[in-house]
Amino acid sequence: MLKNIQEWTLLLTIFGIVSLLGNWIGYDVMPAAAIPGIIILILICLAGLIIQKLIPGNIPSVAYIAIIGIIVSMPWMPGSDLVVQYTGDVNLLALATPILAYAGIAIGRSWTDFAKLGWKTIVVASFVLLGTFIGSAIIAEIVLRFQGII
Amino acid sequence: MSESQKQIWKDWRLHVIVLLIVLLTERIGTHKFALGPGVILLLPMLYAMIIGLILYFTPIIKEKQSKNAEPLIVLGVTLLIAKIGVIIGPSLPQIIEAGPALLLQELGNLGTIFFALPIAVLLGLKRETIGMTHSVAREPNVGLIMDKYGFNSPEGRGVMAVYIFGTVFGAIFMGLISGFLATITPLHPLSFAMASGIGSGSMMAAASGSLIAAFPQLENDIIAFAGASNLLSLSTGLYVSIFIALPLSEKLYQILTKRRDQKIENKSDMEG
Repeated sequence: MLKNIQEWTLLLTIFGIVSLLGNWIGYDVMPAAAIPGIIILILICLAGLIIQKLIPGNIPSVAYIAIIGIIVSMPWMPGSDLVVQYTGDVNLLALATPILAYAGIAIGRSWTDFAKLGWKTIVVASFVLLGTFIGSAIIAEIVLRFQGII
Repeated sequence: MSESQKQIWKDWRLHVIVLLIVLLTERIGTHKFALGPGVILLLPMLYAMIIGLILYFTPIIKEKQSKNAEPLIVLGVTLLIAKIGVIIGPSLPQIIEAGPALLLQELGNLGTIFFALPIAVLLGLKRETIGMTHSVAREPNVGLIMDKYGFNSPEGRGVMAVYIFGTVFGAIFMGLISGFLATITPLHPLSFAMASGIGSGSMMAAASGSLIAAFPQLENDIIAFAGASNLLSLSTGLYVSIFIALPLSEKLYQILTKRRDQKIENKSDMEG
């Protein structure tokens, strides 16, 4: 467990440094200004990862992490304004870019499988978007009519 | 996190390469161009992924780096989820105000399972189906699938495939179908406005943008409903996926593949 925490911390820190530099180049936030924000985010992740190990059950750590993130930034939470202010300096897209850089490097090994999906992926993915959109619209229509809004 | 992950932080070759990719792609920045009623968004993250993939096929990236990159994706996604969490927190009062209509239409996102999952099974896809069709495969869902099934699983490849499709073509696709569907179906434009908030900023913007073009007199209402719905999708989408969409996909997949396998068996019996 202790070894896990140490490893998570090191890797999250490396990832954080890469993100901060991307955040600087792409979104003009000086790394020094975004350091408190990234530290807060790393602490939220560590808390979620640790809780996931401690609590039995198959709830993924990202669920705990999202809940912790919401709780510490709720308006009713003391100090939440600081959490919101500091983490606001860390751009969401600056976190996404290194993820996809690592993903590109990793996905190379699955490339043959991925290429096999081919045109089927495009067909299925189109129906994924279409199905979500139409499904939501139909339910919204029913509820809005029931409420007398439309 | 398994034993094999040990010492990955020491793989400086990998981290320096990623840093260089990030600096280069952020320097290039976001580019977008209009194609008909939609907009194609080219984001740094997209170039980063393509460059990473190309590098895999060069001697710069060795098998070791490619293996070591995987836990970094999982941990990077946790940081992304933490960031999404602290965006949702401050908006909680608005979310509570937004009301039951918005909340219920979130269940409409399950439409993907009933529309896309049978088609995926029909096309002969295997466990990829689960990852592909349980949701619209945005960042939180990619995180969920990676966390539950692992990056190198069929489910992981499936969710990643739809994620890549959505990143590249999502906005233009949504822009095209929303205006089209709102004008050819009897459903109200405000219903489509709520449906536009599927948890992706660019897709929401494209979908609601073409709705406004079709119904300019409803502009303010369309923006209000789409924005609130997107907020809800971001905050509830992950939990709908964990507790409803993923179990439902598993169940429907089992039922449909059982039927498919039986058919194949019957066929071979007749031929035999």
